[in-house]
Amino acid sequence: MKDSRLTIFSIVFGVLYLVAFYYDLALFRYYPEVRQFHWLRNDDLGVVILWYGWIATAGLASAAIAFAVPKRMAERLWPGWAWIIPSAAVVGMLIYERRWFV
Amino acid sequence: MIVALLIAHGLLAVALLGAITHQALSVLTVAPSANGRWTFLNRFRGVDATAYTTPIVVLFAVTALGGALLYPQYRIDVRPALEDTQNVAANGVFEIKEHLAAIGLGLLPTYWLFWRKRNGPETAAPRRYLTWLLAFFVWWSFIVGHVLNNVRGLLP
Repeated sequence: MKDSRLTIFSIVFGVLYLVAFYYDLALFRYYPEVRQFHWLRNDDLGVVILWYGWIATAGLASAAIAFAVPKRMAERLWPGWAWIIPSAAVVGMLIYERRWFV
Repeated sequence: MIVALLIAHGLLAVALLGAITHQALSVLTVAPSANGRWTFLNRFRGVDATAYTTPIVVLFAVTALGGALLYPQYRIDVRPALEDTQNVAANGVFEIKEHLAAIGLGLLPTYWLFWRKRNGPETAAPRRYLTWLLAFFVWWSFIVGHVLNNVRGLLP
């Protein structure tokens, strides 16, 4: 992966992680009480951990996008987006997570 | 085993906190004191910030991995206890911690890139803000992790 593609990966990762979290798009699920990974939801196995699956979804999708973006376009990217878009994702996440404190 | 992992996770977090704080303060653009004295803050800031980059990337990744390994125990033992005692905010701050750790992992490639390629003034601002962003993630995670680890003693 070329340098500019690393930046694209990081820029889209935060956004896609939030999309995966908000829409429950975990690539897989882990059921800690039975120590099992499953692709699909299984309510009989106790509490579920989706966090690993959200990270996997965002990582794979971000890598695919980073490779798919044409090299010339990736190199023209303004460096400021590298921190502005992830910061906006964090602000969006914090606004959504206010639900725990009201 | 889980206690040893928790202690290792905490110790790695301390190292990460120190490294990222050194680097975050080193990119502050504060004018030096007029008399040129080496205050504590000046000494703290006066480090070779570039040298911290790779250790920060490694420490962040390894500490996050440790957190991921500890997470099942939290999900089985701690979270239900917090829910039983109506500690909704405690669950909320932990949920934010897990989001910040994940977004931070995704930021590591470009953070490393901007510190490795110090090519021109146009990259100085992204480098600074990425560092501050990661520093915020680390401080939040550190404080929340320690508060939740001690939550039964802290809350009535």
